[in-house]
Amino acid sequence: MPQIEIDGLVLNVDEDGFIEDPTIWNEEIAKALAKTEGVTELTEDHWKVVNYIRNYYLQYQIAPMIRKLCKDTGFSLKEIYELFPSGPAKGACKIAGLPKPTGCV
Amino acid sequence: MSTQKAVDFLKGRLNKKLIASLEVCAHCGICKDSCHYYRASQDPVHTPAYKAEKLRKIYRRYFTPTGKLFPGLVGARDFDEEYARELKDIAFGSCTMCRRCTINCPMGIDTGLIVRTARAMLAAINMVPASLKAGVDLTIESGNNMGVTREEFLETIEWLEEQLQDEVGDSKAKIPVDKKGARVLYMTIPLEVKVYPLSFIALAKIFYAAGEDWTVSSKMFDATNLALFSGEDDLARLHAQRLRDATVELGVKVLAMTECGHGFRAMRWEAENWLGEKFPFEVRHVVELIHEYVTSGRIKLDPSRNTKPVTYHDPCNLARNGGIYKEPREILARAVSDFREMSPSGVENLCCGGGGGMLAMTDYAKSRIAAGKPKVDQIMATEAKEVVAPCHNCMVQLQDLKKHYKMPVNITALSEIVANALVLPGEEKNN
Repeated sequence: MPQIEIDGLVLNVDEDGFIEDPTIWNEEIAKALAKTEGVTELTEDHWKVVNYIRNYYLQYQIAPMIRKLCKDTGFSLKEIYELFPSGPAKGACKIAGLPKPTGCV
Repeated sequence: MSTQKAVDFLKGRLNKKLIASLEVCAHCGICKDSCHYYRASQDPVHTPAYKAEKLRKIYRRYFTPTGKLFPGLVGARDFDEEYARELKDIAFGSCTMCRRCTINCPMGIDTGLIVRTARAMLAAINMVPASLKAGVDLTIESGNNMGVTREEFLETIEWLEEQLQDEVGDSKAKIPVDKKGARVLYMTIPLEVKVYPLSFIALAKIFYAAGEDWTVSSKMFDATNLALFSGEDDLARLHAQRLRDATVELGVKVLAMTECGHGFRAMRWEAENWLGEKFPFEVRHVVELIHEYVTSGRIKLDPSRNTKPVTYHDPCNLARNGGIYKEPREILARAVSDFREMSPSGVENLCCGGGGGMLAMTDYAKSRIAAGKPKVDQIMATEAKEVVAPCHNCMVQLQDLKKHYKMPVNITALSEIVANALVLPGEEKNN
């Protein structure tokens, strides 16, 4: 199993860089994963999106539809892409500690 | 685990075309430079002939007289569990079935066919990589590979319709759902609906400008057919049947497949053979429809709205395996002001490394990124700032390559770049 080390924090991840055990997620891990997705600093806006995805995942064991994410956080599509340059699936969901989604993602 | 089942499966697959591809390799090695895996690693194990040899050893052992009697003499080999694991890493992990080696082989050996046969054999003994298998199973269970429900789909379409209305400034602009007798059924993918709706909005805008009579189906909204890659023919056939049924039910003339290479290939070139019928509708890629609008003057584009240098990536299943490479270039000639060709391109394009279901297989992500390096070099040589690819799978891979190799480019769907250049009715007098 591959490991990544960011600022002294060692994480077990899959080959795509998603954390192997979604239950161990915490804010420190989110910060570390953010760096792998080109997000150097997690602002309040980032946290709003990340926490929304995380809570949705804990409730439904799946990532939210982009429509729900935009409607419930109040961000437009464009703003989401500005916050997470690699997009909602590989960017935001990875930082929120979700497993990799199925399909060509 | 019984590996005999896989050998029996191979027996059922041995037709003239496959036997010829298994028999005639002259080991000339010309194929090596055609393969992006070999180009990236320079490792002989990535030569297409070497990969195909993995299956040839089994073929000789069980289906040729010398191989049966004196396997050692002809490099034949028993198909045991250990060998099955090695075959899995080759067939699933180091070939995207892009078929660039096939068109460069002097003997015309179809290594893509050999690799797909090996995948199907492994599928027969339940050895499809788990992450790919999960996508196939979810498709069969829910109708699409991300498990999006009909309710979620309908809510999203309503939301996208609002965005379309804002974009075109017309509160009457519609995304018609389940409209019987429409001319075109647009077959999207769950990725577009769940995660990446920008290209959907762009396409809806193009349909709006063209005055197209189009619709989407709330029953089936997944152009992808991951079973084409897992080697599970029965499941690939089932998904194609569902798409066919949804299309027939709406009575449309054209099934327009979204910007997805393999989904188009599966429906356009494979499905009628799988289902043993001639479809009562045309299967087209949306690029073909856009091309029709652009060349007939049904939509007008202003290339000065896309001034950044643009290059075009040919998805293997569109260009090499689908014959569509002139159309996108004729579109881009009218949509952007600075177009730059990669070398090589068209039918000789290099695979981005994400094809063949590679993006769905987490286990091989690292080698997928490594094998994408030749594509990165091609893109960088053009000094383009936008890379257009009419395939969401290629786009995701190109995004990953961008991140890994720090490419200073945007990755864009063809519909997005066209929508950006679109001169809407009423705007013309301002130009």
